[in-house]
Amino acid sequence: MKLSSLGYLLKEGAKNIWSNRTMSFASVGVLVSCLLLTGAAVLFSMNIDSAMQSVEGSNSITVYCTQGLPTLKAVQVGEAIKNIDNISECELVPKDQAVEEMLEMLGDNGTVLEGLMGEDNFLPDSYRISMADLALYDETVAQITAIDGVEKIIDYSDIAEQLTQLDDMVTTVCFWIILLLGIVSLFIIANTIRVALFSRRLEISIMKSVGATNWFVRVPFLVEGMIIGLVSGGLASLILNVAYDNVISSLSILSFFTPLPLDPYRLRIVLTFLLAGAAFGVLGGFISLGRYLRKDVGAFTAP
Amino acid sequence: MITFQNVSKMYPNGTHALNHVNLHIDRGEFVFIVGSSGAGKSTFLKLIMCEERPSEGTILIGDTVVTDLKRRQIPYLRRTMGIVFQDFRLIDNMSVYENVAFAMHVVGASNKEIRRRVPYFLGLVDLQDKAQCKPAELSGGEQQRVGLARALVNNPKLIIADEPTGNVDPALSFEIVDLLSEINRHGTTVLMVTHEHSLVKHFHRRIVEIHGGRIVADTGKVEVR
Repeated sequence: MKLSSLGYLLKEGAKNIWSNRTMSFASVGVLVSCLLLTGAAVLFSMNIDSAMQSVEGSNSITVYCTQGLPTLKAVQVGEAIKNIDNISECELVPKDQAVEEMLEMLGDNGTVLEGLMGEDNFLPDSYRISMADLALYDETVAQITAIDGVEKIIDYSDIAEQLTQLDDMVTTVCFWIILLLGIVSLFIIANTIRVALFSRRLEISIMKSVGATNWFVRVPFLVEGMIIGLVSGGLASLILNVAYDNVISSLSILSFFTPLPLDPYRLRIVLTFLLAGAAFGVLGGFISLGRYLRKDVGAFTAP
Repeated sequence: MITFQNVSKMYPNGTHALNHVNLHIDRGEFVFIVGSSGAGKSTFLKLIMCEERPSEGTILIGDTVVTDLKRRQIPYLRRTMGIVFQDFRLIDNMSVYENVAFAMHVVGASNKEIRRRVPYFLGLVDLQDKAQCKPAELSGGEQQRVGLARALVNNPKLIIADEPTGNVDPALSFEIVDLLSEINRHGTTVLMVTHEHSLVKHFHRRIVEIHGGRIVADTGKVEVR
C-alpha cells in the first residue's frame, strides 16, 4: 500500500468516527468500563499480594491476656511465655500503649478513642512474640494457650488465608464481569463499524468496482476501531491513575496497610490499556468486515 | 479483448441466466448489448466484472483467463475497466472533483497525479466549472458526465456502460453516447447495455442481442467511418 493511500485511509477512518458519533461514544463508554474494571481488579490483586507478603514476612503473633487481668499477673504471663523454648522474642504491649498505637493508626479519625485512656481503657495487655522455629508453630501455640491468663492468640496466618480467599473471590468475580463486558465491548464496536459499513455501502461498491483491494476497503474501518480503542485505553488509564491516587491518599491514614505506589506501574498501565483498547477495536473491525468482504461485491451486486 | 467460450451461468435458485454463450469482442470495438429485462444482460456484465463466476465455460479479458483468477487478483483486473451506471452512483456528500478523485485514491494514485488528472477529465466532459458542486446540484446529464469522468480517470482499456442514458433526457442521451464514441475513437473498447432503439439505430455500431440467456443476434464487427 502506498504512503499517499495510507494517509487517505487514515483520514477516512477518522471521518467514519465522526459520522457515527453516537455509536462511537457508546463503544468508548463500554470499553472504558471494561478496561477500568480490569485495571481495578489487577491493582486490587497486586495490593492483596503485597499485603500478604508483608504479613507472611513477619512471624509475629499477638497474645492477648484476659481483660482486667492485674498487671502483676500479666507480667507473670509474659515470664511463662518467655520460658517456652521456641520463643525468640516477647515484647509486652501494655493496654495504654495499645490505645496510643490505635490513635496513631487512625490519625484524625481516632479522637473517639481519646476517652479510653487510664481507668476507662478496656483493652487487655498483650504480648508480641516471635518464634525461633516455625516448624514447631502448632506445638508452641498450644503451650501459650495453656498458660493461665491468656485470653486469645491472633495468628497472622489466618489473616493471610483470609486475604487469599478475598483475592480469589475478587479475581473470580472480576474475571466473569470482564469477560462479559469484553464480549459486550466487542459486540458494540463491531456494530458501530457495521453501521459505518452500511452507511458507506455505495462507496464500497464503487471502490470495489474500480479495483479496490479488500485491504483498501478494510483499513478505514480498522482505523475507526483502533481510534475508538486508543481513546478508550487513554481515558481508562487516566481515570484509573487519578482514582487510584485518590484512594491511596485517603488510605494513607491507615498505618497498618500501605497501598502499593502506582509510580513504577504508571507507564505500563497506560501502554497496556492503549494496546488492549486498540486490539479490541481492530478485532471488532475484523469481525464486522469478515463476512462482508468474503463476497466479491461489486457495483452490480451491491445496492 | 473479451472472449466468452461456451459460457453458462446458473444461479443457486435454479435460474439459468446465460446458456452456452460464445462471443468475441475485439480491442477498440463499440458494442451495444440489447435485450429485454431478465434476458441475461446483467449477468453478462457481472461475469466480465468477476462479480459472478460462470457455472461452465471460459472467459478471457485481454490475455487474462478470468475464470482462473484468484480472488485477490480480481481488483487488479477491475482496474483495467471503467463503469458507467444508469443511476450514476455518485457519492452525495462528495463534490464532483472528489467523486472523480475517489476512483484514483482507490488505485493508490499520488495526490500530485490526482491534482493533474481530475481537472483534465472534468474538462473532457465539460464540467470543469462545476468541480466543487455536489451531485444534487447537477442535472441528470451532468451527473452522468461525472460518472463518465470517474470511469475514465484511471485510463481503462474497457468501458462498461450499463444503460447510461436510462435516467437522462433523450436529447442528452445522444450527447452521452457521443462522448462514449469519442472515447472509443481513442482506442478504448466500449460495451454499452441499452434499451433505447433510437440510439442503437443512430450510432451505427455492432449490436449483440441477448434473449433468454442466449445470444440471438449479433451484427458482427462494424467498421466505423
